Amino acid sequence: MKAFIRFLAATVVALVVLPVDAHHSGAMFDDQKSITLKGTVKQYQWTNPHCWIQVVVPDEKGVVAEWSVEMGAPMELFRNGWRPRTLKAGDRITVVIHPMRDGSRGGLYVSAVAADGTPYGKPKPVVGAVL
Amino acid sequence: MKAAALLLIGATLSTAQAAPRQGEADAAANAASLRGIWESEAWSGVNEGGRPAGGIAAVNAKSTLTMHPPYNEEWEAKYQAVAKDKARLAAIGTTMKVCSFAFPGAMESPALFQILVTPEETLFVFATPEVRHIYTDGRGHPAADDVWPTPMGDSIGHWEGTTLVVETIARRADKPLRISSPMTLLSDQARFTERFRRVSDTVLEDEMTVEDPVALARPWVMTLKFRKVTDLDRLPPHDCSENDRNPVVDGKLTITPP
Repeated sequence: MKAFIRFLAATVVALVVLPVDAHHSGAMFDDQKSITLKGTVKQYQWTNPHCWIQVVVPDEKGVVAEWSVEMGAPMELFRNGWRPRTLKAGDRITVVIHPMRDGSRGGLYVSAVAADGTPYGKPKPVVGAVL
Repeated sequence: MKAAALLLIGATLSTAQAAPRQGEADAAANAASLRGIWESEAWSGVNEGGRPAGGIAAVNAKSTLTMHPPYNEEWEAKYQAVAKDKARLAAIGTTMKVCSFAFPGAMESPALFQILVTPEETLFVFATPEVRHIYTDGRGHPAADDVWPTPMGDSIGHWEGTTLVVETIARRADKPLRISSPMTLLSDQARFTERFRRVSDTVLEDEMTVEDPVALARPWVMTLKFRKVTDLDRLPPHDCSENDRNPVVDGKLTITPP
């Protein structure tokens, strides 16, 4: 009986919550997939509601394509160590993104490092690191 | 003797000027208890992608406004009807965009807010940039013929020690309690009573009681928490129209070139 009541309670408070709140739904990004873009910064937009990195990326044949990397708002980036002039056109960068589900050249920012391997943003804990 | 009396008067005046009057001291304590920039605890830890670090599931696990309201039979049926419409919910979930928040959803959103305490009112200024005006100078709500529903409603308040007690009416009934829960609606008779109190150096608590004689079977009590923002010394602007590159095209969110 107790188990049934617990089941009933769980059913009653079962939530229907959409993955929405931060400017727009994240459903457009495939958060189960990550790809790495190694290229050159064409433009860095420090704007609301999102900051953007435009990255020019050459493929294996040397043909370049421009990717749009969506980031958080300045308010969120600033708190994570980014500044309006953190990047400039011409910077070499390696960016990891969750790509667009529709296959277009864009995605959601996950992490980035400079040409010398220095990570951008605030240092983050390394998973599995010995403290 | 006369000189001594003058000295005494002078000392008394001096003391009166040096020490604040009781009312001023109370006001200062009230202001100190709430002032600063705050963020919803449910949304603390947003990453560089603008997404909650633990994913939306982590936000929902700490959220209160997404819980199932204690509806009466009629409103529970309405809630279930929307909850069962998976196609509609999926469409909303795929294409929804949010640029501003209504009360009470604003209180549990990614938008930071700054609290300003003045003798006449306490203001919650959101980055998005809505403002809650909470009048604390003794005025009541407008007369019934002079009030109309607005996203933030009409709020009046008073201080009980350093606890700010707020009563809000006249919020728009077509706005869900939180944007991500389109089925959680209340009637235009909903009345919110909130008790804001600082529970530690870094945590502010909002005990919220919702009463709605039309929609709820009983009062609904929940507790929202906010964390003090210590890594910003001002509230950054958040203008959604500045550079929106995410139009909905053919029922899908997309990215446009710069």
